[in-house]
Amino acid sequence: MRLLTHNMLSCNIKGVKNGYPLRLEAEKWTEKEVDFNAKFLRGIFPKIDWPALVGSARSFGFNDLLPDEAPDSSLLASDDDLLRRFHHALLEIHVEEGGLVCPETGRRFPINKGIPNLLLHEDEV
Amino acid sequence: MVASTTMTDASKYQESDSANIDTPCSANVCATPDIEKKYVHHVYNAIAPHFSATRFARWPKVASFLNSLSPGAVILDAGCGNGKYLGFNPNCFYIGCDISPSLIDICAKKDHEVLVADAVNLPYKTNFGDAAISIAVLHHLSTESRRRKAIEELIRVVRKGGTVLITVWAVEQEDSSLLSKWTPLSEKYNEGWVSGSIPQVRNSAALMLKQIPEANEDCCSTTGISKHRYAHPGYGEEGRREDNVIAASFCNGIQEDAISSSKAVTNQEYFVPWHLPYHRAEVNGTSTTAIANGLAKKDDKKGAVVYNRYYHVFAEGELQRLVTGIENAATVEQFYDKSNWCIILQKR
Repeated sequence: MRLLTHNMLSCNIKGVKNGYPLRLEAEKWTEKEVDFNAKFLRGIFPKIDWPALVGSARSFGFNDLLPDEAPDSSLLASDDDLLRRFHHALLEIHVEEGGLVCPETGRRFPINKGIPNLLLHEDEV
Repeated sequence: MVASTTMTDASKYQESDSANIDTPCSANVCATPDIEKKYVHHVYNAIAPHFSATRFARWPKVASFLNSLSPGAVILDAGCGNGKYLGFNPNCFYIGCDISPSLIDICAKKDHEVLVADAVNLPYKTNFGDAAISIAVLHHLSTESRRRKAIEELIRVVRKGGTVLITVWAVEQEDSSLLSKWTPLSEKYNEGWVSGSIPQVRNSAALMLKQIPEANEDCCSTTGISKHRYAHPGYGEEGRREDNVIAASFCNGIQEDAISSSKAVTNQEYFVPWHLPYHRAEVNGTSTTAIANGLAKKDDKKGAVVYNRYYHVFAEGELQRLVTGIENAATVEQFYDKSNWCIILQKR
């Protein structure tokens, strides 16, 4: 699971109002190189929840990879280094083992072999 | 013992079903009925490698939809199966989900970004995706409320202006001989062949009611759909006329009585067999268990373990009718192709 995916996952347990972002508990993760696509990155930037992305990157110890505050999109157009760091955080960090925890209920969704399982139990739907 | 289980399961199903009719978006819509667990989820988990090995041809209509999306688009494939459409347009980012962990494992081995989730309750933020696809998924959902909920989810997770492509098997199959190889559900139930959890809802008033649109504003305007009409054996004039009778009586405010007294339209609930060759089944211990549990049987003549997959095959106009009650979904296009009904929606 990449951080881009994490950025759009939400807990949909019945009655949960603040199921986003899921807290990432990474036990094992890897970095894999992915083709750099500036057009794709600039296109997706406005959709990204910046604090959630920064928070998840920090959970791997990437404390200085991204600025705390979301950069202006014009900066993303001119600053190639920033765009590459954004690319790395978004697409090149893969969580292999761990969990995703609902901020409201504490329910933990497991991640095994890189695959999050977000199926709900019968009493959660 | 077995008999009492049968009764309980069947009555449970009936109960939840009538609740769905009253409140189509109630929470229990998300609870998976037994019939889907046993005859969809379990089957796909058991046949996943064989299923995947036979599913590689990409459908041109889906391909052209995916190719029409802008670079950088996020595409959500809800019910992605073996992931054959994931990564199709390399300028886009795909996330696939399926309820079958076995199929998702296959996708992950191909390096696709995937997760295990239920199409009736997608674990995504609202308004994020640029497009969503549901290819051959909705026909595995066993109630109209669940089929509608799955469409609502597809619409929910895409942004305003985002598009959704849905394809489902049509009851009007181009190769009509296929239908004779399928098992209409009610008949099998009557023969006592299937396990007790298969409810005998096929010919009941409850099912007929479910086929009536819950939001009735547009239920008489079937004109947009009728241009795709064509004659087909096995879906003759009688079935069609009855469709019209139902629509008309609903619009006139005549409800349950008139509807339940009309004869059932063409059967849409089927078991469709999947033949898992013995050499495939042997490496997969789940087949032995499935045979022992009565969820599969051996066919020595064909040298295969036969699983039954539950299908609700769609009739002409049915997809459009499901969408009618979803206020932020506009129909862009609908068509019939290769024995499938298809619809493209745009979020308003």
